[in-house]
Amino acid sequence: MRARPIWHAAWLTMLSCMLLLTACTPESRSSSGAPTTGTSGDGAAQEKVTIDFWTFWGSETRRPIIEKIIEDFNSSQDRIVVKHTYLPFGDIWTKNLASIAAGTPADVIVNDYADVNLRASKNQNTNLTAYLQQDDIESRFYPELWNNVLYNDEAYALPFNTDTRLLYYNKEAFREAGLDPEQPPQTWAELEEYAQQLDKKAGDTYERVGFYPLWGDFGVDSWLINGDAGNGYFGENDETTIDTPGKVATLEWLKSWQDRLGRQTVDAIKADFGSGVSDPFISGKVAMYIQTGTYNTQIEEFGQDLDIGVAPIPEREEGSGHWSSGGGFVVEIPKGAKHPDEAWEFIKYLTDVDAQKYWAMENFDNVSNIEAAEDPEANKNEVYKASVENLVNTKVFQVPLSASGYKDLINPHMDAVFLDKETPQQALQQAQKDVQSLMNKNK
Amino acid sequence: MKTPARTLTPTAPKKKRSKLARREELQGYLFISPWLIGLFGITLFPMLFSLYGSFTNYDVTSRMDFIGVGNYMRMFTEDPLFWKSLYNTLYYVAFMVPLTTIGSILLALMLNERIVGMRFFRTIYYLPAVLSGVGVYFLWIQLLNPSTGLINTMLGWVGIPGPAWLSDPMWTKPAIILMKMWSVGGGMLLYLASLQGVPSQLYESAKLDGASAFRRFFHITLPMISPVIFFDVVTSFIGGFQIFQEGYVMTDSGSGGPMGSLLFYNLYMWNQAFQLFDMGYAMAMAWVLFVIVLILTLINLRMSKRWVYYEGGED
Repeated sequence: MRARPIWHAAWLTMLSCMLLLTACTPESRSSSGAPTTGTSGDGAAQEKVTIDFWTFWGSETRRPIIEKIIEDFNSSQDRIVVKHTYLPFGDIWTKNLASIAAGTPADVIVNDYADVNLRASKNQNTNLTAYLQQDDIESRFYPELWNNVLYNDEAYALPFNTDTRLLYYNKEAFREAGLDPEQPPQTWAELEEYAQQLDKKAGDTYERVGFYPLWGDFGVDSWLINGDAGNGYFGENDETTIDTPGKVATLEWLKSWQDRLGRQTVDAIKADFGSGVSDPFISGKVAMYIQTGTYNTQIEEFGQDLDIGVAPIPEREEGSGHWSSGGGFVVEIPKGAKHPDEAWEFIKYLTDVDAQKYWAMENFDNVSNIEAAEDPEANKNEVYKASVENLVNTKVFQVPLSASGYKDLINPHMDAVFLDKETPQQALQQAQKDVQSLMNKNK
Repeated sequence: MKTPARTLTPTAPKKKRSKLARREELQGYLFISPWLIGLFGITLFPMLFSLYGSFTNYDVTSRMDFIGVGNYMRMFTEDPLFWKSLYNTLYYVAFMVPLTTIGSILLALMLNERIVGMRFFRTIYYLPAVLSGVGVYFLWIQLLNPSTGLINTMLGWVGIPGPAWLSDPMWTKPAIILMKMWSVGGGMLLYLASLQGVPSQLYESAKLDGASAFRRFFHITLPMISPVIFFDVVTSFIGGFQIFQEGYVMTDSGSGGPMGSLLFYNLYMWNQAFQLFDMGYAMAMAWVLFVIVLILTLINLRMSKRWVYYEGGED
């Protein structure tokens, strides 16, 4: 028949099309799927389970550290094999969301500390209450961090690491300016006084700026915590505490620094900041600089000759508190993970002393496990020790669910202050109003 | 559906012909089935799904309840950031489209001259259009540096103190538009091709009639290349509304820049969908943008009858 070749071709097209489609579906998850059965020595059947662990730690520094920890876990027992999957920082959250929706998520993922409650409310992570009733490991963590993994008083993640901000200062510059290098500034008044002594000008241009509060890693949000007795934007019962006298005074004080140096000068100097050897503090352009504890590894790498000291963030006035701000990451079990029990075993290991101590020693990163953080071996490093001590003063906040997205409302007002478009009073008033109306809508 | 079967000889029995016709029709559909699967599975289904999703509180993982026009109400009456992001995007499109169109026409006119080394210049001006993506944005962040960037340095040579491009909300959008002007080479290539297609006898006869270069341009060149201008305007309009990366990459962690001045529509939509998991709202935003672009494109099409000249005439 004449038509037969045509039918033939059509079927071939269909077939190749189907082949293409099947080829496009994700690879079969045999690695974490069908468990292989083996028999152990005493005759009891044992299942070997492979679990998938997603992180964004792919850098030369961090990848070997996390992979060593995984290897240690794998060889510490013979039932669970952890497979590490590295995903770039920009992809990992969207991939996580998509895979949860598709029902094929990772078994364990490293995620942002700030939105544990948001993800819990959206059914994206696994409630750990049942596991915690068997292994009560709450006490191994800093309470401030533990509070952050709670949603309706139940845990949905375990804290993994955290950070805190410290004042780094250049001792050589202190000596040059006639200041005692063992006496870092304690209060805002001292900070201003020291900063002006440390300024070095050649004609109209600054060769060195003593200090500028918004350079480094301590933004307006952090200063508002520092200057408002450790209070963030939201109170205990989710009330907004944005427009408070403490925050108004803090914002006015921050603005006064810009007024003194001039906005253009600040913008121009900041635009030249680089990283590595051209980092403003490492290259000596700035004498005092606020950064996290891990910043010290950069100093060690690029500024070997630098004689530095670290101190807690200066307080607004004596007794108001050296408040700092922190963040960090948690480990959680995405909702719908195939092997939650094995995943729990692994995250328990990840937050236990050995793994946490190894992470801290190799990275000088602050860890969530108190015993590991305070381990004497790691604390031989001065800066690391200072950062651990600073955790007492460090605030880590959970954002009320109804205020999700509040930053988009607050930040433009903060920008407006520094562009002379709003006064600190107006900006905080308006920001509080905007956030309040967002929260009222979401309630 | 016009199939060859319909044109078969009328002497063939009616019943047999229709059977053959049906069979060939079916075969035709089978042949285009890969495309049909693509259209229905990958384009139409997600579109309809998002249309439905826009009337729900869908958050991907926990809920999808019908809430009527709730998302649309919230967008129009309660969300100041929706209006801000729409304004930012309209501002960008309103300046970017005419400026890049005029820019690429002027460039094409200059590169259409017959002088030595023209190929070299054409290559040079086309090169930026080949480069794209995040690398270019980082390059521009350096070029736009207020104190050491090349742009302000050059402005300084003629005595103009350059603005703080990316940190002053007044100048952030102009900075992005300026960046876009840099890559007009793609449009230039289209215009160059169409300029060379303008018959030279038209210019010759106009010259004989004493038309100035100015009049020759407005009465011959522009009408002759107007179909390409139309194409360019429509596609850059649509592309302009899709602006996202610039706002995401050139501001601190996609925050939308100083005072939210680079919070473009798609960036805000992305934040809603993937930061706050408010997918239903993001879907509603996508449909509002779709309607806006649809209306503007229809207006463009309608207006085109007044100024676009097709040599073949209307059929």
